Amino acid sequence: MQNRPSGFGNPWLQLAISVVCVFASELLLKRGASEVAAPNDAISWTGINGLASPLVWWAIVLIIASFITWLYVLRYIPLSVAYPLSRVVDVLVPLGCWIFLGELISTLRWCGIALVIFGLALVAKPIAKMEERL
Amino acid sequence: MTFLAFVFILISLVTFVAAQLILKKAMEFSTAQGMRNSYFVSRVVVGVVLMTVSFFLTLGLLQRFDLSYLYPFQGLSVIFITILAAVVLKEKLSMRLTIGALLITAGVVLVSMS
Repeated sequence: MQNRPSGFGNPWLQLAISVVCVFASELLLKRGASEVAAPNDAISWTGINGLASPLVWWAIVLIIASFITWLYVLRYIPLSVAYPLSRVVDVLVPLGCWIFLGELISTLRWCGIALVIFGLALVAKPIAKMEERL
Repeated sequence: MTFLAFVFILISLVTFVAAQLILKKAMEFSTAQGMRNSYFVSRVVVGVVLMTVSFFLTLGLLQRFDLSYLYPFQGLSVIFITILAAVVLKEKLSMRLTIGALLITAGVVLVSMS
């Protein structure tokens, strides 16, 4: 983690932006894919028919944005730290599915979400300390 | 169709994990050597191609399953990427980081089972 830029170039901020883009893109993809779903059509296994949905194109824009910020993050943060942290989307996505897509979350699923949060806290805490020292 | 679904989930996972490792290598290389060289460009291109494959397979799967069911399989990538980052990229893995990654994976698997 050599001489990291601050302000907008701060890799932790960029990581957060990347995560938000991924989160929004996942919900858009699900909506878009459902819109044009053709499960009886073999070609749809390739996902290519998803391109018929404008929501999928919005999702692609967000994915590209998240990809660029992610490459930037990779320049400064080890993959074994950045990647587990980026999985905060594994908490955000089910919550988003529940709130925006009306999917149900069972008790067991809530427990799983809690475990993810606990794991994230473990990964994130030493980093917070490290940042304090700088 | 379930076996086919499993195969597609697996391929989308493997391509995604490989892409992350390749991209990290490329970005690390770029800090020292810059971006105008064939080593960097070829790695980024391969990474992007792999991520694109993973993307379209996911899009196909999304037409068949709930997002909250499918998404967690990508969560398995946490433990794979963390381990491979240590093995392939020689990143230092603390006990804490390993346990954190395992908990995230366990949580994500639990979400997918429920």
